[in-house]
Formats: sequence, C-alpha cells, structure tokens
Amino acid sequence: MHPNLSFEQAPPISVPFRFFLTAPLFGILAGFLLAWLGPDALASRWTPGALALTHLLTAGFMLQAMCGALLQFVPVISGGNVWRPRLVAGVLHPLSVIATLLLASGFALQQPLLLLFAAPLFAVAVGGFLCVVGLTLWRTPALGPAIRLVRFALFGLAVTLLLGILLAAVLGGHGNWIAGWSMLRLVDAHVAWGLGGWALMLVLGVSSQVVPMFQMTPPYPALLMLWWPRAMLLTLGLLLLQPFVVDSVFEIYFDAMELCAVLLAALYATVTLWLQARRRRRLFDTNFVFWRGAMLALLGFAVSWLAMLVLPAIGDEPSAPLWLGILVFAGVFVALINGMLCKIVPFLNWLHLQQLVGLKTLPPNIKQMIPEPALRGQLIAHFIALVLLLAAVIWPPLTRLAGLAFTASCLWLEWNLVGAVRLYVDFKGRTRADGRHRES
Amino acid sequence: MSDQRVIDGRDLQPPEPLELTLAALDTLCPGEELLLLVNCEPHPLYSILKRNGFRYASEWREDGCNAVRIFR
Repeated sequence: MHPNLSFEQAPPISVPFRFFLTAPLFGILAGFLLAWLGPDALASRWTPGALALTHLLTAGFMLQAMCGALLQFVPVISGGNVWRPRLVAGVLHPLSVIATLLLASGFALQQPLLLLFAAPLFAVAVGGFLCVVGLTLWRTPALGPAIRLVRFALFGLAVTLLLGILLAAVLGGHGNWIAGWSMLRLVDAHVAWGLGGWALMLVLGVSSQVVPMFQMTPPYPALLMLWWPRAMLLTLGLLLLQPFVVDSVFEIYFDAMELCAVLLAALYATVTLWLQARRRRRLFDTNFVFWRGAMLALLGFAVSWLAMLVLPAIGDEPSAPLWLGILVFAGVFVALINGMLCKIVPFLNWLHLQQLVGLKTLPPNIKQMIPEPALRGQLIAHFIALVLLLAAVIWPPLTRLAGLAFTASCLWLEWNLVGAVRLYVDFKGRTRADGRHRES
Repeated sequence: MSDQRVIDGRDLQPPEPLELTLAALDTLCPGEELLLLVNCEPHPLYSILKRNGFRYASEWREDGCNAVRIFR
C-alpha cells in the first residue's frame, strides 16, 4: 500500500488555510478561559468552565483543523474537486466559528438559550460540510483504505452532530419527549462518537497516508486498515443503544463496549509506535515527536481508563474524567494537529508557489517556511503545557499557570503558521512584481 | 546508450525528492535521462513535467520502489 496522492485537484490555498489559522485561536481562548476561571473550572467534568473548555477544543480547535485538512485531503485522495471550495469555505467557516463561540459562551455563562442558537448554526455549517465533502467521496471512482476511513469518519461526525443537537435541545428546555432516557448515557454516546467515530477514525485515515510518507515508516498493516474501522463502528453502534436502555442490568454490557473502543484506540497507538520504531531514517523531526507524544498519550489514556475501571476508588473521583479528557484532547488530538499543521502548511506553501513560478526559479526551501528553532520551541511549549494541565488535575493551584502555558503553546503554533503564510504572500508578491517588471 | 543521472529519494522526506529533481531538470540535456527512485506515486512531479514539456515513464519494482525515468 503506497501513498497515492494526487495534487491536481487541490483547492485554492486560502480554503484550508483559513481553517488552519483559526484553529489555534480557539486553543488560545481556551487557555485564557482556564487561567481566568482557575481551579473551580476543573472541579468536575460538569462545571460550566469544563464544558466550555471541552467545546472550545473539540468544536473549535479540532473541528477547524480537521475540516480544513479534509477540504485539502479529500480532493487529493479522491482525484475529484469539492463543489465550489471558495464559496463553501467562505460560508461554512464563519458559521462554524460563530456556532462554537455561542456554544462555549452558553456553557460558560450557563445560558441555555445560546446553546439553542448554536445548534442550528452547527446543523447548517457541519451539515453543509458533510454534504459537500460527502458528495465528492460518493462520486469518486477511487478506492482504498484512506477513502473508506474518511467516509466512516464523516458518518461519525454526522452522528456526533445529531447527538449534540439533541443534547442542546434538551439543555435548552425542549427535552420532555426524551423522558426516561439516560442523559448521562446520551452524553457518553456523544463523546464516544465524537472521539472514536469521527476524530480517531479520521486520524487513522490520515495516518495511513502521512505516517509512511513523512516519517518514512513501513505502511500500516492491511488487516488493521480493514478491520479496525469496522470493529470501531460496530462497538460505537452498540453504544448508541445506551441512552434508551436505563435498566442497570445492561450496565456491564455497555462498560464492555466502552472497553472494546478503548482497546481499539490502544491497538492503533501501539501499531503506530511499532511502525515508528521501524522507520528508515532516524532523524529528529518535530512532526515525528508530536506523533510519538500523541500515541503515548493515547496509550496513557487507555491505561488510565482501565485503572479507573478496575479501581473504582480512583474512577469515582470527580477529577478522573478530567484527567482522561486532558490526555485525549490536549495530549492526543492537539498534539497531532500541531504536528500535522507544521508539516502540511509548509508543504502546501511550497507546492502552490512551485505551480506559480514553474521551472523559472525554485520556491524557498521547505525548511525555511517554519524555521527549525521555532518548531522546537512550539514542541517544548506544547509538552510543558500538557504536563502542567495534567498536574493541575492532581494539584489544582497549578490551574491558572497551566491555562497560561496552554495559551502560550497555541500562540506559538499560530505565530509559526502566520510566519509561513507571510512568507508565501511575500514570495508570491515578489514573483508577480518581477513578472510585471520583465513585461514592461 | 544515453547518460543517466540518479536521484535516490526513497529515504528523503517529501518534498525533498521533488526539490532535487526540479533542480536537476534545469541542467538535463537532450538525450540524457534522469532516474528518480521513490516509494510513492509523485503526482505533483508528473503535473510539473507535463506542464514543462518533459517526458517520463514510471515503473513499480519488486522491492516496492517506484522508478521514474525522465527525459527532455
């Protein structure tokens, strides 16, 4: 299985870049919010602050980066254009930003009405995105594990969106019709589909292409690519029954399903670490370290989850879900997105500039797009923030410092991305000016 | 038999093989051949070659390497 990517159909560079540049801003906001709220925010997973922070990271940071990446990645793997990419991005990007800000404000200020405003905006923004990207994948004759995984991930995003809208309706006071359902289980299903069915499914699809290509590892085993997504979808499908079955007899059954999902996540992390250990060139590379850190955090999440299951004295602590949340959101997905953005943005810069200048002159070397010291600084800032966030769960007086450290790490990411974009704009401007100068 | 230059891009990070190939195209003489060895299908390179009037032929070898022969 060789990465087989076609860049003929890539959208204009401004389409993915607006999402990429917005993603860290939500991280900066989340860090400031945590620093402002202090230890109270991390008292339990249900505090207004914790709910707002979670959604700034998931519906803000992660969704922005993943939608931007898909608008670039889907045409490349499918060989087909996304319908009117400039128009789609021009409409859906601001809508999704406003929806996320309303959602996070609704949680932070305990204003359910804001959740009710956010829900239809998400329905239009994410629903529109699903239609446009789904149509491209539906039409393509191309086959392969990456396309299959992205299709599954989009299905996972659709289920997460529907469950989220349902929860917003219930929290907004329109939940009489679901009397008898378990709200806690409904939230758990929303979280499980968001993390396993959408985010991790997409990460596996992207990994299958970029890990062998950028980290020079052997390809992922074909059996894993075939069976992992099916097993995850089956497990998550069975977990969807949980809000409707409130009989405690079935508790153990649902716990077993959650265990399966966690073990599947751990399997993916283990295989990726195993492939990384067999890479052909052992050079220091920030993208590689971000991925390795993320995979270790995913394993840490699985081990912590198992420990909490086996030792209820730990698992019943209000801080236990926060420990898991920080590991999976900041430790896994924020790290992966950091690593990917620092690889993809210079790569896209280079490709687009090369198309602009042809063979007349070479675009700046890819390593000049984001200087190595700046990348290392970003890497260190991220891991310091992660350690402080985890430490703050155990020792709450660290919370404000952890929030500021997380803001600093996201600022560093944004600074590096803006620097790369500035270089692109400058080079493009100079090339056009040279062209005009030669013509005159 | 024509002269052949070889770029082994198998252990280089993208787009390094592409950068080296583009630099080599500048000095590729008629009758000379550039052989690029990579582990992927380099679509961006193919479109650049087509746009600039180069010919190429690619062949997957048994060792999992893609050998791309480029001519002016």
